[in-house]
Amino acid sequence: MKFYQKFKISLLAILVALLGYSVQASAGGTLRIDEVAVGELDPGKASDYADSILMFNVYDTLILPVQGGPGSAPHLATSWSQDGNTYTFALRKDVKFQSGNLFTAEDVVFSLDRMKALGSGLSYLFTVVDSATAIDNSTVQFNLSKTYAPFISSLVRLPIIDKKLVMKNLADGDGEMGDWGQAYLSQNSAGSGAYRVTAHNPLEETVMEKSSTYFLGVASDAPNTVRLRYGLEAATVRTLIAQGKHDISSQWLPPEVMGALAKEGAQLFSESGTGAFYLKLNTTKAPLDDVNCRLALANAFDYESVVKMIAINDEVSSGRAATGAIPVGMFGSNPVGQELKQDMAAAKQHLANCKYDAGDHTLELSWIAEVALEERIALLMLANFTELGFKGEIKKLPWALFAEQVSKPENTPHVSQLFVNAVTGDPDTLIYGMYHSSNPGTWQSPEYLDDAAVDVLLDAGRSVTSASKREQVYAGLNNRLMAIAASVYAFDRQSIFAASNRVSAPALTNPADAFGLDGMGFSFRLMSVKD
Amino acid sequence: MSSILRLIVQRISLALIVLIGVSMLIFAIARLIPGDPARIALGPNATVEQVEILRETLHLNDPIYLQYGYFVRDISQGDLGVSLYTNRPVTTDIAQFLPATLELVIVAGIMMICIGLPLGMISARYKGQFIDNLLRVVSLLGVSAPSFVWAVILMLLFAYFLPIFPVAGRIEDTYVIKAVTGFLLIDTLIDGNIDAFFNAFWHIFLPAFALSLSGIGQAARLTRANMIETYNKPYIEMMRAYGVSPFRIASRYAFKPSLIPSLTIIGLDFAAMLGNAFLVEAVFAWPGLSRYGVAVILRKDLNAIVGTVLIISLTFVLVNIIVDLLIAFLNPRIRYSQRPK
Repeated sequence: MKFYQKFKISLLAILVALLGYSVQASAGGTLRIDEVAVGELDPGKASDYADSILMFNVYDTLILPVQGGPGSAPHLATSWSQDGNTYTFALRKDVKFQSGNLFTAEDVVFSLDRMKALGSGLSYLFTVVDSATAIDNSTVQFNLSKTYAPFISSLVRLPIIDKKLVMKNLADGDGEMGDWGQAYLSQNSAGSGAYRVTAHNPLEETVMEKSSTYFLGVASDAPNTVRLRYGLEAATVRTLIAQGKHDISSQWLPPEVMGALAKEGAQLFSESGTGAFYLKLNTTKAPLDDVNCRLALANAFDYESVVKMIAINDEVSSGRAATGAIPVGMFGSNPVGQELKQDMAAAKQHLANCKYDAGDHTLELSWIAEVALEERIALLMLANFTELGFKGEIKKLPWALFAEQVSKPENTPHVSQLFVNAVTGDPDTLIYGMYHSSNPGTWQSPEYLDDAAVDVLLDAGRSVTSASKREQVYAGLNNRLMAIAASVYAFDRQSIFAASNRVSAPALTNPADAFGLDGMGFSFRLMSVKD
Repeated sequence: MSSILRLIVQRISLALIVLIGVSMLIFAIARLIPGDPARIALGPNATVEQVEILRETLHLNDPIYLQYGYFVRDISQGDLGVSLYTNRPVTTDIAQFLPATLELVIVAGIMMICIGLPLGMISARYKGQFIDNLLRVVSLLGVSAPSFVWAVILMLLFAYFLPIFPVAGRIEDTYVIKAVTGFLLIDTLIDGNIDAFFNAFWHIFLPAFALSLSGIGQAARLTRANMIETYNKPYIEMMRAYGVSPFRIASRYAFKPSLIPSLTIIGLDFAAMLGNAFLVEAVFAWPGLSRYGVAVILRKDLNAIVGTVLIISLTFVLVNIIVDLLIAFLNPRIRYSQRPK
């Protein structure tokens, strides 16, 4: 037998052996999902979507957002009361951490102190809290430096840590608390949540197992094991789902891939009501320092086409036409039915009232290099705005460069495209950072807006504690922001996830079960997985 | 000092100079990437105060020569700093991700040698015939398309349409293997788990093959060209006249002298695969150092960028030293050139 024939036969034999071997592989009883970024397991540093999924499953919080509506419901707390700037919480007495330690008020105090001491992640939400005190084992008191109405909703971002466990695992560091358990908590969980971490590699995956001691109990058909994988490519996710080896994709899968999976029978899950997509107008740069020119752009923008651009299929899209500055579902939003529409006649009317001549100005239309979709939206803007007579120049900016450029108004493009989310579900965490004049030049505020009426309303949103009055304040704010066209409110964001048919997730499919908070729909204890 | 020892000392001295140069260069270049590392690390929601505190902690407000001084001080104690991307020491990250990449590259290198060289031999042996033309087309395809294109094509063919191979990870979730070397193919054997070994091999086959295809093409083409030249030498003619079998002529008398130029290219290809592995690692969700390297560059994670580039440079340099030694072993003229005059 000739040499190359032997070689060919050997190669074939290897392939046949591998084919036979592949038949043995199977997976079951496990939920497999993916996210783009690394997963941060330390509650003091967690901030983005993957981190939120980890926090909401591994740790518990004093309150939870109400399912299917605005507001907060007790969770580790049984009730709370407010006396001026002091909030007192009565805590559950039947909760144990995964370590077996009993949950007490000391754990709440420790969790807050730790978050403030580290000063990372979402700790800025608690800068207004002066101190927390354990009144007794099941009562904790928070003292705020000033009235801050969104405080209760902020508590959904304060994961409660097992103090005793962390104190046993302190590593060296400055001061009495050493490293505050950073080394330990970056690799281990110390929560009371329905799932505990059994393995964590921030670039590869986090493996979680169902906790048998969860205080609310977990349904038997909820996943026993969850594998949260990081950084999978779109082609890989598509193949894995097709092979039945992956269950829920991240929201960042391109719409075409998502659509192809849906055509092959995958379910489409969604999460909405927490954020929107804004075309942010630099209000300090001519011609957009004239409100009429801004209103002209806001009326010229084609809201229908942009929603079609992000459509997955005929029924599902990654966004809905906006009704105003505040997304539908939040305090102060305009109702469904009042969607914004392109109105070229009104746009031309506003332009006629603008002190600038459109033809004299070239608008810089930027898009973030990491988000391919934004290039298409930039082209849509160019088409819309040139119809009014403006000249346009499309600028591609990597995120890092964009964040640097917007620190100075003269370097900030005329139009910047951004997705912005409310990290607590309260409109304050969505729009205060964008539009209050005390926060100019951050990635959220390339508008450099300085409007006294907006500032007054934003401050009122923090100081007014009655829910109905806050509703009125934010409705007024919404109207004001529409009237001065600080941004073009392009669409309300809706995160879409492709999922295999073995998964059921009511919080991601039924609006009455939705939490209105990014990532909380991935509460695994509320999901069920077929073997 | 023997000639080989002299060669080793010479190569290691040069390697040290190269590594110091690389460290200075990458230290400066990493700081030229646009964006504030502290802002990127802390995310869009961080306050200005939080960003400023982190900048101070990282010495980013100090002049660059002082920053390099801190870096040299730390690296002399084996400390590459903390990665802002993973919030862990860079040395921990490298220790975790490097074995996966090395394993992938080594298996790809073995494939390159075990497939590329025989293909070149067969091509040369059957020069101008159908099999030669076919193999030349295959080699050309391997060279002309980048690894990530092959990765996607192979995944589509052998994982999507024909579900033979897995598409993600190093081993099936069901196996728990104690990490000894970090190389799963070795750790599974140490563990005595043959089933897990085959599972790990089954996972590495497709990514390693995609990564090696370009090298296979190059090795085959080079070996073919060198062997054809060697076949025209008079001593091969003499072997034929003595009635030595074609297989023996090819494997013993034509192949060895043709191997030296191929070996240089294989060495360079092997080292280059460390860099090229990134896209293959991304496609196959391979938790390796190349993927980590690109992720940290995109996030301007200064400590991790410098650490990763230094480790890849070190591996590159080591592979080149090994290739030089192998060539010296195969070619006595190089050994003799190291003798003191």
